[in-house]
Amino acid sequence: MMKVVALAGNPNVGKTTIFNELTGMRQHVGNWPGVTVEKKEGILEYKGEKFLVVDLPGTYSLTAHSVDELVARDFLLKGSADVVVDVVDATALMRNLFLTMEIFEMGLKNTVIALNKIDLAEKRGIEIDARKMEAVLGVPVIPLNAKEGIGIKELKKKIYEVAHRKTRVEPIIPRYDPAIEREIEHISTVLKHTELAEKYSLRWLAIKLLMRDEEVIKLVLRYLGSEKLNEIMGHIGEVEERYKRAMDLMIASQKYEFVDSLMHRFMRYRFEQGETFSDQLDRILTHPVYGLLALFAVFYLMFKFIFAFGMPLQGMLDDAFSSFGQWLAPQIASETLRGLLVDGVIAGVGAVLSFFPLVFLLFLVMAFLEDVGYMARAAVVMERMMRKFGLPGKSLIPLVLAFGCNVPAVMGTRTLDEEKDRIVTMLINPLIPCSARLSVISFLAGAFFKENQALVAVSIYAVAILLALLMAWVFSRFLVGGETSPFIIELPEYLVPSWKTVIIHSWERSKEFVKKAGTIILAGSIAIWYLSNYPSVIGSGRSYAERIGMFFEPYVRLMGLDWKAAVSLLFGIIAKENVISTYGVLYGSREAIINAMVPLQAYVLGLVTTLYIPCIATIGAIKAEAGWKWAMFTVVYMIGLASVVGIITYHAALALGF
Amino acid sequence: MGKLEKVLELIEAGKSIEEISREIGVPPSEVEGMIKILESMGYIQVIETGDSACEACPLKSICPGSCIKFKGKLYQLSFKVSRAHR
Ligand SMILES: Nc1nc2c(ncn2[C@@H]2O[C@H](COP(=O)(O)OP(=O)(O)OP(=O)(O)O)[C@@H](O)[C@H]2O)c(=O)[nH]1
Repeated sequence: MMKVVALAGNPNVGKTTIFNELTGMRQHVGNWPGVTVEKKEGILEYKGEKFLVVDLPGTYSLTAHSVDELVARDFLLKGSADVVVDVVDATALMRNLFLTMEIFEMGLKNTVIALNKIDLAEKRGIEIDARKMEAVLGVPVIPLNAKEGIGIKELKKKIYEVAHRKTRVEPIIPRYDPAIEREIEHISTVLKHTELAEKYSLRWLAIKLLMRDEEVIKLVLRYLGSEKLNEIMGHIGEVEERYKRAMDLMIASQKYEFVDSLMHRFMRYRFEQGETFSDQLDRILTHPVYGLLALFAVFYLMFKFIFAFGMPLQGMLDDAFSSFGQWLAPQIASETLRGLLVDGVIAGVGAVLSFFPLVFLLFLVMAFLEDVGYMARAAVVMERMMRKFGLPGKSLIPLVLAFGCNVPAVMGTRTLDEEKDRIVTMLINPLIPCSARLSVISFLAGAFFKENQALVAVSIYAVAILLALLMAWVFSRFLVGGETSPFIIELPEYLVPSWKTVIIHSWERSKEFVKKAGTIILAGSIAIWYLSNYPSVIGSGRSYAERIGMFFEPYVRLMGLDWKAAVSLLFGIIAKENVISTYGVLYGSREAIINAMVPLQAYVLGLVTTLYIPCIATIGAIKAEAGWKWAMFTVVYMIGLASVVGIITYHAALALGF
Repeated sequence: MGKLEKVLELIEAGKSIEEISREIGVPPSEVEGMIKILESMGYIQVIETGDSACEACPLKSICPGSCIKFKGKLYQLSFKVSRAHR
């Protein structure tokens, strides 16, 4: 029979690379029996002898918590391997050797350590003395750079030797504090001279029982019956009672310390391990104060960029649409049809479509920030803020989605376990400016502000985000009670972005904007055109649009806005871009719009558009997720909030002389 | 108390990886390693990010700028933690 070589190790340590080096092209890929975990097997030939090489699933421990761990552990435990090659990543020795200790603890005496990625370790100033490591751990250690094939020959030789018992393997066994050692001893005594003891290492069984390992408990039940099991578990219960801490965590933690205590005997840093540049950058970008400043700076620069490159394109598109309208008008004989197409469809949809470059650039920058890894850092800063305002860290996920669109964000609240967190996150979610509102904000900032357009946009975003946090605090304090749960973010490495993915991503996202313009915005523009031309044209005071607008005018005038703004806002409920298309239809040209308002009015309109009633789709989503009560509550509180903010901003700015 | 236990406690206290790294005096990469071990022991678990919400969204086909995501893994404490606090 062929001897079996098993490759074990953490994920991503280079197992596959080593597997390929050992077996060449002679491989077979299948599944482990009964589970959907991939099983790779291949043939290694050395000195004319064939070995079956099996690649075990990569795991961080052998606790049997996941299928991967169970598969790897069972294979090793059954003694199915004649040689176990434990692949260890030299750049992350601590976590790798933790798994090594778990393997040693099983009582296997046929392990070889493949110390991989020594080239990377060298680069990072990590110096490992393989001979000393061998002496300390009691097993052969072969340094490798699998990527370049360096060390593979030595590894093959060692595998051969261990398979034929030509090398002594006496693995070091992790030791725990005296109290735990006493318990291990005690349980081992109970298990001694039983059938189990012949099959497995007593020490391993005892440790796993102390950790309440379900598989081992089942094993004891099967071999020794429930009486013996109850006796052991009763004792373990007493031990736990004494410690008042989870034994598995305590044992794992001590095992980790054990590895730590060995390390300095064979590893040292060639140079002082100062913080890496990436760590330093992380420290600033995730700092409670600097991180927040950095976030604002990034936001500001983002808008600067969007306006600098997007606005000229927007102007060109806008001109193109109006020229098209002017060219088209004389070709259409029917006055109604001409009005509908030129003053309704082209003026409305064109106004919105002209913002395509800005939306595209927004997504481009977002995709870029995502790709370089900044988004995760921003998330750490935001998460900390959110927690201060009583929101669970996990609401971050739906709230980030909200910058794209509020609807999936509302649905994303499903990932929150606590009812309270779900409701609060859902209620504040529509306050986050979605990409539709970005168009409106850019439209107003671009049309009415000659300078500081980016600052205007950022300030509206900032107000909206601050209000979202504030409302979260109010709601979680006074409306719905409950606990919040902590959460941690693992930062990805900083990477040079791949422009191809960035562009593809932003295109995928922004093309939906065009689709929306062709559907909802089109329908809205036609409706507005109808309302402003029937029963009589606008200006007559009898068109439906004027009558509706006039009805609301006294109210919006409190914020310095007129009836046309009121009509726009009303249509904006269907989709926020309709605020722009309504302006396009009602005024007909960009110049007319610019002359219609002063910057302060535009600013207030931008704020109010961002904060008032969510669009119909969002209301529908809230209703579906939380019921009518909360949907209506959202509408009412947001109208209230928008009114208060609008009125205060308008009058405060007037008083300050703007 | 060992570092592994300490890390879990600090995660519970809402600390970031960077803060934990400074508090226990090991590089952030080692803290990440300990998080991996805690995850494999079932004490913390990875959280799904937005994808599924976007897939289920009725506005998927006309949504301007579908879903914004970020790289980086998110973890939360699992039920096992409250059990450990018996
Ligand atoms: N610098 C360097 N990189 C290596 C070495 N060995 C492997 N790698 C790289 O490490 C990465 C992971 O290698 P894999 O062989 O896929 O690792 P694995 O353990 O099979 O990973 P999983 O399939 O996730 O368990 C790849 O990008 C390899 O190119 C090495 O000795 N030096």
